[in-house]
Amino acid sequence: MSIVLSDVTKRFGDSLVVSRVSLEVRDGELFVLLGSSGSGKSTLLRMVAGLLLPDSGRIELHGRDVTYLPPQQRGTGLVFQNYSVFRHMTVAQNIEFGLRIRRTPALRRKARREELLDLVGLSGMGSRYPDQLSGGQQQRVALARALAYEPAVLLLDEPFGALDVQTRSQMREALKDIQRRLGVTAVLVTHDQDEAFELADRIGVIDHGHLLEVGAPDDLYFHPQSEFVAGFLGGGNVLAGRAEGRFIRLGSVALPIPEAATEQEEGAPVRIVFRPEFVVVKAGASAPKDGVHSLGRGRVVRRTFAGALERVRLEVQGLQGARPVTPPLEYGQRGTPIEATRPASASEREPLKAEDDVWVGIRSFHVLAPSGLKVLIHVDGSAVADEGAMLGLLLGQAAGGPTTLLAVAEESQQVEEWQRRLEEILKRVGAARSPWLQSRVRIGKTVPEVLAEAQEGFYEIVVVGGPARGDRRNALREELSSRLLAQAQAAVLRVKRARPQLKRLLVCTAGGEPGKRDVVMGGRVARRAGAVVTLFHVDREPVSPEEDVRVKRHLEQGAAMLSALGVQAEIRSARGPVIEKILDESAAGDYDLIVLGAPTGPGSGRYGEIDHMAPVLREADRPILIVP
Amino acid sequence: MERPSPDSPAPITGPPTRRKAGPSRLPVFGVLAILLPLLFLPLAAVFVFAGRSGWSGFFSALSQPDALFALRFSLLMGFATAAVNSVIGTFIAYVLSKYRFPGRDALGILVNLPVALPTVVVGTSLLLLWGPIGLLGKYLDPLGIQPMFSATGILLAHVLVTLPYMLGAVRPVLDTLEVTYEEAAYTIGASRWQTFWLVILPALRGGIFTGTLLSFAHSLGEFGATVMVSGNLRLRTQTAPLYVFAQFEAGNIEAANAVAAVLAIISFLLFLFLQRFARRPERPEA
Amino acid sequence: MLNSAGPRRPPILRRIHVDWRGLSARGSFLLFALALGIFTAWPWLTPSAMAPPRTLIVYGFSILAEALEDGVFPAFRDEWQSRTGQQVEFVSSFSGSGTITNQVVLGVPAEVAILSLELDAFRLEDAGVLAGPTWRDLPHGGVLNRTPFIILVRPGNPDHVTDFGDLTPPGIGIVHPDPLTSGGAQWAVLAEYGSVLFLGGDTTQAEDQLSGIWRNVVAQASSARGARTQFEGGFGDVLITYEQEAVYDLGRGRLDAEIVYPRSTILSEHIVVVPEKNIPLQDLPLVRAFTDFLWTERAQQIFVEYGFRSVNAELNSGHAEFGVIEVPFTVADLGGWKTARADIIQAIWKDRVLTALRP
Repeated sequence: MSIVLSDVTKRFGDSLVVSRVSLEVRDGELFVLLGSSGSGKSTLLRMVAGLLLPDSGRIELHGRDVTYLPPQQRGTGLVFQNYSVFRHMTVAQNIEFGLRIRRTPALRRKARREELLDLVGLSGMGSRYPDQLSGGQQQRVALARALAYEPAVLLLDEPFGALDVQTRSQMREALKDIQRRLGVTAVLVTHDQDEAFELADRIGVIDHGHLLEVGAPDDLYFHPQSEFVAGFLGGGNVLAGRAEGRFIRLGSVALPIPEAATEQEEGAPVRIVFRPEFVVVKAGASAPKDGVHSLGRGRVVRRTFAGALERVRLEVQGLQGARPVTPPLEYGQRGTPIEATRPASASEREPLKAEDDVWVGIRSFHVLAPSGLKVLIHVDGSAVADEGAMLGLLLGQAAGGPTTLLAVAEESQQVEEWQRRLEEILKRVGAARSPWLQSRVRIGKTVPEVLAEAQEGFYEIVVVGGPARGDRRNALREELSSRLLAQAQAAVLRVKRARPQLKRLLVCTAGGEPGKRDVVMGGRVARRAGAVVTLFHVDREPVSPEEDVRVKRHLEQGAAMLSALGVQAEIRSARGPVIEKILDESAAGDYDLIVLGAPTGPGSGRYGEIDHMAPVLREADRPILIVP
Repeated sequence: MERPSPDSPAPITGPPTRRKAGPSRLPVFGVLAILLPLLFLPLAAVFVFAGRSGWSGFFSALSQPDALFALRFSLLMGFATAAVNSVIGTFIAYVLSKYRFPGRDALGILVNLPVALPTVVVGTSLLLLWGPIGLLGKYLDPLGIQPMFSATGILLAHVLVTLPYMLGAVRPVLDTLEVTYEEAAYTIGASRWQTFWLVILPALRGGIFTGTLLSFAHSLGEFGATVMVSGNLRLRTQTAPLYVFAQFEAGNIEAANAVAAVLAIISFLLFLFLQRFARRPERPEA
Repeated sequence: MLNSAGPRRPPILRRIHVDWRGLSARGSFLLFALALGIFTAWPWLTPSAMAPPRTLIVYGFSILAEALEDGVFPAFRDEWQSRTGQQVEFVSSFSGSGTITNQVVLGVPAEVAILSLELDAFRLEDAGVLAGPTWRDLPHGGVLNRTPFIILVRPGNPDHVTDFGDLTPPGIGIVHPDPLTSGGAQWAVLAEYGSVLFLGGDTTQAEDQLSGIWRNVVAQASSARGARTQFEGGFGDVLITYEQEAVYDLGRGRLDAEIVYPRSTILSEHIVVVPEKNIPLQDLPLVRAFTDFLWTERAQQIFVEYGFRSVNAELNSGHAEFGVIEVPFTVADLGGWKTARADIIQAIWKDRVLTALRP
């Protein structure tokens, strides 16, 4: 292995830039790190080069641990987007720079320089100055300079980003060719998926510091494991349905589960992905062709000309119950959006325009790895936290996502004791450890460690014990909750007493605008748990008729969206003191979970301060999910 | 000759590109009409007066030992100031540009303060610190160390006054020099020192050259601070501008003008070279 | 500016042209820098066989410049060499008496300072530069020479000025040195005020004359020499200055003006001080020899040649250029410098005359 990264993590201040990245790059491979800007890909590359030190983790180059070595001792060759060719040196001097530093004899230097000039196609230009070269030529010089001293690995940071389109494709070919010929291991960072597909032996997709998937370009394109990769690479349609025997139920449509897909539990959520070019669109009501899975009837929302291809946005009616992931469901929309592309020839043969009624099918699709809500459960040894763990595990099971039990030990000798305790909890609910259910003990201070875990692990819900009478850990839990909401953007589930099931959810939109995120989060939990949702709105005092209409419309849109997700929803509203009404409703309706939106904006996260949150939290004995 | 008034470090710009004559040349004549009494005629007057008693008068005025000394001494101070500044100015500019530390912005403003301060104030402040009755000087005086009223004092004043010009020439170059240049050198294997010596310093050549020349030119003409700290001793610490002023006040206009003319010619040539070299763009667009 | 002809040449020629230009600019710059460097370093490049001369650092007030530089210094140099065989080099600086005093207080290494008035000597004493009124121990109480204050008018005396009293009517422009920095100016103020008293007037009349004159002051220079340069430059109608200035320059035909002798005026007395703390021990005899030399007949003769009135009255007789003053007086006649300063310059000129002038 040329490069081995294990659990490499890097933070800049509060933000997590690279999160526990583990990666192996093989000898002679051209590996592309693909991600949008700010995804942490360049940071990762700079850590390999030694220009940044990781906060934790380990970096090996050719079996040598270089984690804490300065860049000079790593022997990497780095090529930058801005070329960074030394302007006061000729091309030849630039290329020889590394050899001069290494005190290579002049004759060998000269020979090597000529060899490299030849290799990068700049023969005879050795005596020129960079200012006399084009951007592409300068980048060739930079490449030759990085290769001159036979680097352990070649690292390229968006090397072609500053070049025009034509030069860029020439340079890609040249790079691929040179890399093959020399057999040097190379890691290239880019945000351009075309570049990644064209160059890469393997691609690693990185997002928000998490290395999501690694694989050959075609593999990632046709068989992505995650929604993000499916969406990021080439854009795709992702629909979520439910396993029903050997079929996937998407509203009125049932698709056969492909042989290659992993076993799906009955009733479990299943997501499928299909590329726009696999969508078949037929004008009129022609019958489905053989080998094409019908999605039913729909209409054209818009068509866009895009050169060789034509983009068509469709809305399909028969898929109620299936949740579209990408393209995202627009708020209040009922039909399922589908993105399709057709070759220009097809659009000439069978022109489409907006509002046309069409029949929609797909030629093939791919089942994504199951992923539900990621749940993190914080155990602090108190009774309320144990109750939280019970409910959290129940939620995790229902949600079908990875669940982690977390304890924080102040000192390393307490780790074993905490592990035993976590084991007990798992045993009590009869759950066994699996890739989807893990326990972990971190060492340090409670709040920052839980926060770090929530950020690194991308958790969507963190379970924290509720306020308990006379418990000295109350303040700690309050602080943890508010910082999780503010900094990790995770929903916080506060539990005083667990519930035996999750069948009835109360989503409160009281105290202002009905939020969108709380409705969505409530809907996701309800959909996975198969629960019924009550959208509840309280007006503190009589409001104007217009305001009333506006709130009603919003509630109806929320309910529509919930039902589009396949969740049964009803709307209730009341007038009077907000806290009392919420408490009354939660007792009367025997709800299992109350969902509240936390205020957003500057200074948010101090959720204890907003008027209805603290009393509800104090008075209600139901679990409360606070959504950021 | 320089006036003792403060002026900001002039950005070095090339001569304006020639444009085809517009519909009217009136504005051009307007500019000439403004510049004639403002710039051209006063300069011409210096030379007219210098040459009034003919070449022989001019040269005999120049060959006075104290005139020769004043010119030499000024040039020496200029060379020394330029040399000192090219080292510490580059160092300060490098640290201010490449290191992040609290108070960096404040420091960046502070080192440029001498431009805004009247040079007389700079001189006074030096005197009140290093002079025999100054804050530090009073402890040094008994030890026989007397930085003021000597070449050291003048050098100190000149370095202080011209430092902003050096920084002004070097720092922008450093600021535009992206960190990737250094990083490239590091990954290639160059140590910090090698990187500074082989990569950064050569890239700063133009800026350092300009800054050094500016420092030299300003040192040559410095009056306000010098008059405070030099002691104004003939054949000892009298710089050329001080000589010009003293001779002028004493009514020896020929002697004053001869030296003033030489100063003007040197400054003019320096300026010409500055223009000539600064005109070469550091990095033309590829 | 330099290669404006460039763009219109054929490409090949232009290339050659530009290269040549670049070379020439670089070459001529190096040549220029080299020339400056050689010029600067020349004294060090041509080592002289002479033993390094001993130096004497003399600060003098402005009008002494020629008398010392061209007369007294060479004379002493010759005498010292014939006496000891050593070279003496004079290092000197001349500016307003107040400026010199300030510089000496701030620590310039003056070994001998010649001030235009005793008051500045008192200031040096107060600042601790002098151990006491040491100048009183020198010959004539430290007074080197004298010169009366006179009125200088334009040729033909167009304003018909005959005495200080004629300077008070509005419309006459007077050039006057600044009493804050110039010793001469303080003498002038005493002359303008005291002349009335010595001609039988009372203090009110004296103050009226002083304020009348100051109402007409159109320019103030930092030293007597500076004021003369301004007057020479064509500024103002009248200059109140040392007789020496006028006599010396009229003698050389350099000044196009006429002297008007007031009926009564003050004779300024110039004081030699020796700040001993600035003098290295081995130089003490040299400094002593120089100060002694200043009162020899030879030196005093030189001062007379340069227009000063010697402390040795015999030397002044027979010099037609020294005009007659009916009622001359000195600062001693006004009660000494400390009294004169407090009662006249401070209390009357500064506090009353000057404040009344302020708009």
